[in-house]
Amino acid sequence: MEEGVEPVAGNRPRQSSTASEDTPLPVPAPRSVRCEARGVKKAFGDNPILRGVDLDIPEGSFAVLVGPSGCGKSTLLRLVAGLETADEGTIHLAGRDVTELPPRDRDVAMVFQSYALYPHLTVRDNLAFGLKLRGTAESEISTRIKEASAMLGLDKLLDRLPKQLSGGQRQRVAMGRAIVRRPTIFLFDEPLSNLDAALRAEVRVEIRRLHDRLDATTLYVTHDQVEAMTLADTLWVLNGGRVEQKGAPLDVYERPASRFVATFLGSPQMNLLEGKLEREDGRFFAAGGGIRAIVDEDRFGDALEEGRAVSIGVRPHDLVLAKGEAPVVAELKVELIEALGFEAYAHGWLKSSGPTLIARLEADDARSVKAGVTVPLTAAPTSVHLFDPESGRSLAAS
Amino acid sequence: MQRALKLLLLVLAVVLLPACAEPTPPSVIVWHHYRGKEQEALEKVARAFEAETGATVALLALPYDGYGAKLEAAIPRGNGPDVFLSPHERLGTYLANKLVTPAGGAFPDEDLARYEAASVDAITDGGTRWAVPLATKCVALYLATKYVQTPPETLEELLTAGRAAGKGVVPLAYEAHSAYFHAPFLHAYGGKLFDGKGFAMVGPEAERAAARVAELSRAHDIPEEPSGDLVKQMFTSGGAAAAISGPWLAADLPPEVRYTVVPLPRIDGAGRMRPYLTVDGAFLTPQGASKERARALVRYLGSDASAKVRAAEGKQVVANRAVWGEIDDPVLSAFHEAGTLAVPMPASVAMRATWVPAEQALRKILRGDATPAAALAEAKARYDDVMRPPPPPPSPVPVVLLMGVLLLAGAIFAVRRVREPSFRRELAASVPAYKYVAHAVVTVFVLVVLPLLAGTATSFFAGTRDEPRYVGLTHYIEILTARGQPLLSHGSFYLTLLVTVGWTLVNVVAHVGIGLVLGTILSRPLMRMRAVYRVLLVVPWAVPSYVTALAWKGMFHRQFGAVNAILAAVGVEPVSWFSQFSTAFTANVATNVWLGFPFMMVVVLGALTSIPKDVLEAAEVDGATRFQAFRLVTLPLLKPTLLPAVVLGSVWTFNMFNVVFLVSGGEPDGTTDILVSEAYRWAFARNAQYGYAAAYAVIIFGLLALASRVTSGVGKERGGAK
Ligand SMILES: Nc1ncnc2c1ncn2[C@@H]1O[C@H](COP(=O)(O)OP(=O)(O)OP(=O)(O)O)[C@@H](O)[C@H]1O
Ligand SMILES: [Mg+2]
Repeated sequence: MEEGVEPVAGNRPRQSSTASEDTPLPVPAPRSVRCEARGVKKAFGDNPILRGVDLDIPEGSFAVLVGPSGCGKSTLLRLVAGLETADEGTIHLAGRDVTELPPRDRDVAMVFQSYALYPHLTVRDNLAFGLKLRGTAESEISTRIKEASAMLGLDKLLDRLPKQLSGGQRQRVAMGRAIVRRPTIFLFDEPLSNLDAALRAEVRVEIRRLHDRLDATTLYVTHDQVEAMTLADTLWVLNGGRVEQKGAPLDVYERPASRFVATFLGSPQMNLLEGKLEREDGRFFAAGGGIRAIVDEDRFGDALEEGRAVSIGVRPHDLVLAKGEAPVVAELKVELIEALGFEAYAHGWLKSSGPTLIARLEADDARSVKAGVTVPLTAAPTSVHLFDPESGRSLAAS
Repeated sequence: MQRALKLLLLVLAVVLLPACAEPTPPSVIVWHHYRGKEQEALEKVARAFEAETGATVALLALPYDGYGAKLEAAIPRGNGPDVFLSPHERLGTYLANKLVTPAGGAFPDEDLARYEAASVDAITDGGTRWAVPLATKCVALYLATKYVQTPPETLEELLTAGRAAGKGVVPLAYEAHSAYFHAPFLHAYGGKLFDGKGFAMVGPEAERAAARVAELSRAHDIPEEPSGDLVKQMFTSGGAAAAISGPWLAADLPPEVRYTVVPLPRIDGAGRMRPYLTVDGAFLTPQGASKERARALVRYLGSDASAKVRAAEGKQVVANRAVWGEIDDPVLSAFHEAGTLAVPMPASVAMRATWVPAEQALRKILRGDATPAAALAEAKARYDDVMRPPPPPPSPVPVVLLMGVLLLAGAIFAVRRVREPSFRRELAASVPAYKYVAHAVVTVFVLVVLPLLAGTATSFFAGTRDEPRYVGLTHYIEILTARGQPLLSHGSFYLTLLVTVGWTLVNVVAHVGIGLVLGTILSRPLMRMRAVYRVLLVVPWAVPSYVTALAWKGMFHRQFGAVNAILAAVGVEPVSWFSQFSTAFTANVATNVWLGFPFMMVVVLGALTSIPKDVLEAAEVDGATRFQAFRLVTLPLLKPTLLPAVVLGSVWTFNMFNVVFLVSGGEPDGTTDILVSEAYRWAFARNAQYGYAAAYAVIIFGLLALASRVTSGVGKERGGAK
């Protein structure tokens, strides 16, 4: 089990959408399209934000974009929506070059972080707004509104103004406004960040369910690791204006391509220590900063070379109390214990001068281990990550 | 702290000093309104008198504006002057307010021969001489030496000489629409403006005079719509061969302009053009009349010695005959000669009400809108209407009854409210709140409610301030029944109301429209130098509105305005802006739109910043074009801010006195007047009918209160429906 990420059933076999049992509504015909960005560059003034981004989201896929704050996630999303224009590169929707088209000719729907509901219109009119502009027939509009409001539980709220709704309800209206349009692609910009934790978990599941039902191509920006891990078909990690890594969420989590991705995903953050490779009894060890762990030779293959300097990464989740036969990789002088109930994290030093380190304790062990004691730790060879100290790239053979 | 102390000491010093420093008060106190050379000469004369008699004379120079009001306020309370100098035409008012006494010993019969007969006439009323005439003022003929070398005998000679001056030169420049400047023509044909009782510019003589002037205008012998400034400018720049004006023009002409001044000529087939004569007199107040020295001073002011100084140094056209042999100033001598031929201006109070109707008639005649006979008859009717005797005092019973009923209803309402327990609870709970707002309530009461009550009270009275006569609701009835005329007849309340409402609608629509467009453009982040444009566009608002209004009035001038110049450049015939209702109204609207759009623009700019950007982006993503987003999202979101601004703007425009009064001035013929400017005219241009004007004001207030009630009701209703 990976820490911090709760298992979600929707992960991953792409069984195409059959309506879930509680809503016997007809499923709108999917109109999903492929979305591609090629070599997109964007600068605000002298400040380059995107330095050549390539994105490829197949029809009906759920792509999640993550990255540190200010790295240009929203900018990329707005480029796809047509709210910004790219300095260089192209954007294709369904194979059509839309780079120069205004938003209204792209047939995309966007859910804003602030929801951006029309404050002077009722929920019903908010939902109908885009359809009316496109000259949809009245009867069609009302069917679609009925459909969407049933899906999102908005039936009772249709005649209210946005200011008369709670945060969660507004969020639903924002989604409903996107859904009724039946766009070719959904764009979400941190749609859950204004909700409290419980509601966020609930809506998150709902969004995934909705996606499975509508099967629409989706580009979703988030800060939240859990959302990223649970929602994505493909996770795109953006850093420094470029795509740092893409792949299935678990792949990215388990095999980060760089030190940046490794530390960015996962909470608490991966422990990182500087050291070098040693060879003993025909096996390679990564040693330094008070740790000495066997490395997985299958994974790193040719990159292993005695004496090579490396950055050693072990997720706190994989660093546990050594019991019985398990090889001890480090001795932790415990400074404090964070008990979470089902498990605990021990913070401490490996050496008096070394960096701090975090290890996981079973709930039972958490009671016996006290601050000030020194405990032995172990880690499976597969959980040891090695990075080039200069470039930060993973040493794993790709 | 220290500064406050110093200030206090200073104030004390100022208050106390005169008392201690000057143990003997001056023997004679004189008020006057002279400036410059005239003032210096007067001071010199006073010093000479002091040297001769040993008296002390205190001279106090007051501004001419409000001079009369100050006299009226000070003299009856005994803190006025002993002697004051004033143009004689106010004598009627002074007599009515008992501010003057007969000159008596200051002007004995033996002095009669000293003065020009016309001057003596001017200060004589009912056989009594009320002042000593000091100096005279009247208009004369200025001739540009460049075009006219020999003084013309007749008007026709002058015109012939003037026409020969060539294209672009007007033979004669003067303010043709002003009754004061028209008087010489009127007098030449034997007509009169005022006959001692009422408006007399009617009948064949007056008609012939007016027809002659209309003829001059048609033949372009005189300029169109000339103001005093324009006359000066034309004469200075060589654009006029001759001008009719007073001594003030000579003072304003630059030294390089060569000209002569002669008395006004005769008119062929009529008599000599005789202007009105104004005489500055020295008047004795009741307080001064009892002082030997004051009487002596007044007599001395008229003496040969004094006249010599005032003429030679003060450049006054003195009324004393003796000095004229020795004066070698040709301009001064010419005005003196013109004065001997002039008609003393009637000094009665009723005379003053003749100017406005006479001017209106002249404008109409000059424009060719009416025949002289019709226009003059209408002017007389207007004069008579303005001067109609106040209505008989009605019984106060209806008003008292009405008040009683209102009070009773109020009392019943109050008692019922107080009986409600919830009300009493709330009242008790809000006592502290009342304490907090008490000062505001008092301020509002003193500054708003009291004047309102005073104004309302005024509207129940007619007559002068000193002798008010209760007339009840008569003013309201007269206004609301259009004074017995058809309801939409000229100048009626309803017609004016219609104009006012139209004026308000057109303006507010234009303000909001332009404000919206500019505000939206300026809020675009893409625009370069937005801050500069913003400041520039707020400028019309920042400039005092009367300055703007006067500038626009100049731009709409028929002959010399920028607007017509631009029109001419694109080949459009010059428009006589103030001769038709539609164009005059347009000119007013243009000015007021210029004044008013910045406010709406600023409101829109402010409101736009409160509209979240992402809502507009959402609309764009939803498929809206820029315009659709504006119409369907921006506009509805602006509405809550815009609505109060529109109500406010409507009230301002409804009462926009400055523009209407200064730009069109009601031209043509009062048709572009709105309710406030009409009210103003009743108070200040039509024999001071304050009560009638106050009734207008109360009605305006009522209308606006009602209108804003309705609009705010509409706003609420819409808000509630959402
Ligand atoms: N209109 C703009 N003008 C200038 N700079 C901008 C503009 N919009 C965004 N930026 C800058 O571009 C960078 C990327 O912004 P963006 O909103 O795409 O970041 P983000 O990845 O969405 O961040 P976050 O996770 O905090 O939402 C930021 O440094 C931001 O300051
Ligand atoms: Mg963002």
